Amino acid sequence: MALTMWASSAANALRISRASKPHLSLAFSFSRCFSTVLDGLKYATSHEWVKHEGSVATIGITDHAQDHLGEVVFVELPEPGVSVSQGKGFGAVESVKATSDVNCPISGEVVEVNSKLTETPGLINSSPYEEGWMIKVKPSSPSELESLMGSKEYTKFCEEEDASH
Amino acid sequence: MRGPLKLEVWKMGFVNYLDALKLQEKLVSDRKLCRIPDTLLSLQHPPTYTLGKRRTDHNLLIPASELKNIGAELHYTQRGGDITFHGPHQAILYPIISLREIGLGARNYVEKLESTMIELSSLYGVKACAGQKGETGVWVGERKIGAIGVRISHGITSHGLAFNIDPDLKYFKHIVPCGITDKEVTSLRRETSTVLPSEEAIHEQLISCFSRLFGYNTVVWKENPSILSDHEEIA
Repeated sequence: MALTMWASSAANALRISRASKPHLSLAFSFSRCFSTVLDGLKYATSHEWVKHEGSVATIGITDHAQDHLGEVVFVELPEPGVSVSQGKGFGAVESVKATSDVNCPISGEVVEVNSKLTETPGLINSSPYEEGWMIKVKPSSPSELESLMGSKEYTKFCEEEDASH
Repeated sequence: MRGPLKLEVWKMGFVNYLDALKLQEKLVSDRKLCRIPDTLLSLQHPPTYTLGKRRTDHNLLIPASELKNIGAELHYTQRGGDITFHGPHQAILYPIISLREIGLGARNYVEKLESTMIELSSLYGVKACAGQKGETGVWVGERKIGAIGVRISHGITSHGLAFNIDPDLKYFKHIVPCGITDKEVTSLRRETSTVLPSEEAIHEQLISCFSRLFGYNTVVWKENPSILSDHEEIA
């Protein structure tokens, strides 16, 4: 992975000695600095993002989330037309023999789902904010977006979450 | 820094698969509402085949109608992972824990479940290791000794791990275990020349490895754990 290669060359440059499992130890220490958070999106504490454009909101999971999940091998998505509610599950992903529910950051009606994820679930790992989008929703209560975090707040949230353990 | 971590252990003996599933659903709900601490179920199942969310029933090699003849049940679940077999002399742990409170993502959680079984194996001189990419589980060489299948809902885990102490490995011939075609299944009995203590002792060792790896400071044993809670029946 690019992250571990970067971390390895950084470690060499800084003359940090490599532990016996360099990928695990180095990737961990750098991951909270280098999980991407995009400006202009809103974020939930359960690590989903929302991109609100006009009457449609696109939803997916963040880079931080995909990193903590591991390689996604299966994605379960709702059908278009289904209602979703803020904080409730709308689908699931499977990685490392674990299925994890994905929660909806806003309420509304599903208008489109990313069918590419059936064939290529790994798009969630490689492109969590773009090609790995999961569903598009017509929001029923746009004011719910105000209860979500902005990019700076979410970055801090992730740092605090990782630092406290 | 997080405060002291408490784990409540339920030693349940033999439990029918569906009963255990219903109990887990209730405990997940209770844990989400912080009504109970992190809880660990330790048990065995009668002969049971289970499928995960992907419903890979093409990996069941006998017709479902013949399962009764071999004394086994089949259940579909929401856990991750492929088809597997559970049966007597296989130690099962179902942790119902809050990953958010303990600060773990799915990947780290599963790695610690693998480490739990690897550590137990090492107590008997068996060198086990985690699977290669895509082959989550615990292996002794090319032979699988421990399986994992987990569900995470609102950050609370259910299902868990199954470690082969000495199950009847013939049951595995009726499936493509975990969807991996060219690998064998093995057991602690097969891999070690050490005389095994009682299964209860091995279960306790497994619980001990788990609680140590997950950093629990306090481990309490629930008195007389029952499928039925104090106030209600499982309908």
